[in-house]
Amino acid sequence: MFDSLNISASALTAGRLRMDVSSSNIANASTTRGKFVNGVWEPYRRKMVVMEPREKSFNQVLQGELQKQTGSNPAMQGVRVTGIIEDQTPFKTVYDPTNPDANADGYVMMPNVDLSKEMVDMLAASRSYEANVTAFNSGKSMMLKALEIGR
Amino acid sequence: MNNIGILHSALNASSLRQQVISNNIANAETPGYNSKHVVFEDILKQQLSNQTNFVGKRTDPRHVVIGKSGAIPMAQTVENSDTVMQNNGNNVDIDNEMTQMGNNSLWYYTLTQQLTSQFNQLSISIKGRS
Repeated sequence: MFDSLNISASALTAGRLRMDVSSSNIANASTTRGKFVNGVWEPYRRKMVVMEPREKSFNQVLQGELQKQTGSNPAMQGVRVTGIIEDQTPFKTVYDPTNPDANADGYVMMPNVDLSKEMVDMLAASRSYEANVTAFNSGKSMMLKALEIGR
Repeated sequence: MNNIGILHSALNASSLRQQVISNNIANAETPGYNSKHVVFEDILKQQLSNQTNFVGKRTDPRHVVIGKSGAIPMAQTVENSDTVMQNNGNNVDIDNEMTQMGNNSLWYYTLTQQLTSQFNQLSISIKGRS
């Protein structure tokens, strides 16, 4: 009965995570010591969120079929995040001999974070969050209207 | 066929449609997702115009269908797979979805009003205007 609200809620959760990851990328846009690999500091790698449609589990579908609820029960439950992956594009190299992480030639490896890309991702996440809030409100007001039947 | 029954199934269809639209908006940026839509009004129209007088009574869904009964159809979900909106194989048209959502909730309000007036009529015929 509350499926449409749950679907929007799942998208809101995913949207918030996207925003968190984007913020983390921007905050670490110049972090040169992200990971310690084989005795060497590696800069922060840009992170990305992977999403997939969330569908009903086998058990839920089976139960629905056994009870034969209202007609074609769609197997959709919104969206879910399957993981956060790291962007494998090469790091930027900047000439800065005074930096403590500079190598022998005076070059520093900087994170592969592109600020303009992050801003665009963040705007997209924010707009899709708004769209989902609108969908949630619309579903909620429909349910409230259903309570008024017969008055 | 009673009006309340039809209105009931139309409300169910509208609620399912809201669910499908929410799902489309939730997956607006999921790679490889195909948008879906709900078909109900066309099926209902077809069913209502193709009724026959001679109908076999079925007491079990496995019985053979005789004639075309005026039974109210179920709404069905159809996947749209012939369009492309984004490079990642996703075909959710967010503007279209938002419009459909506005449409659908207005339609739902209309149906609830209709249902309320049906109940009011029943109440008048039982109690009279007092």
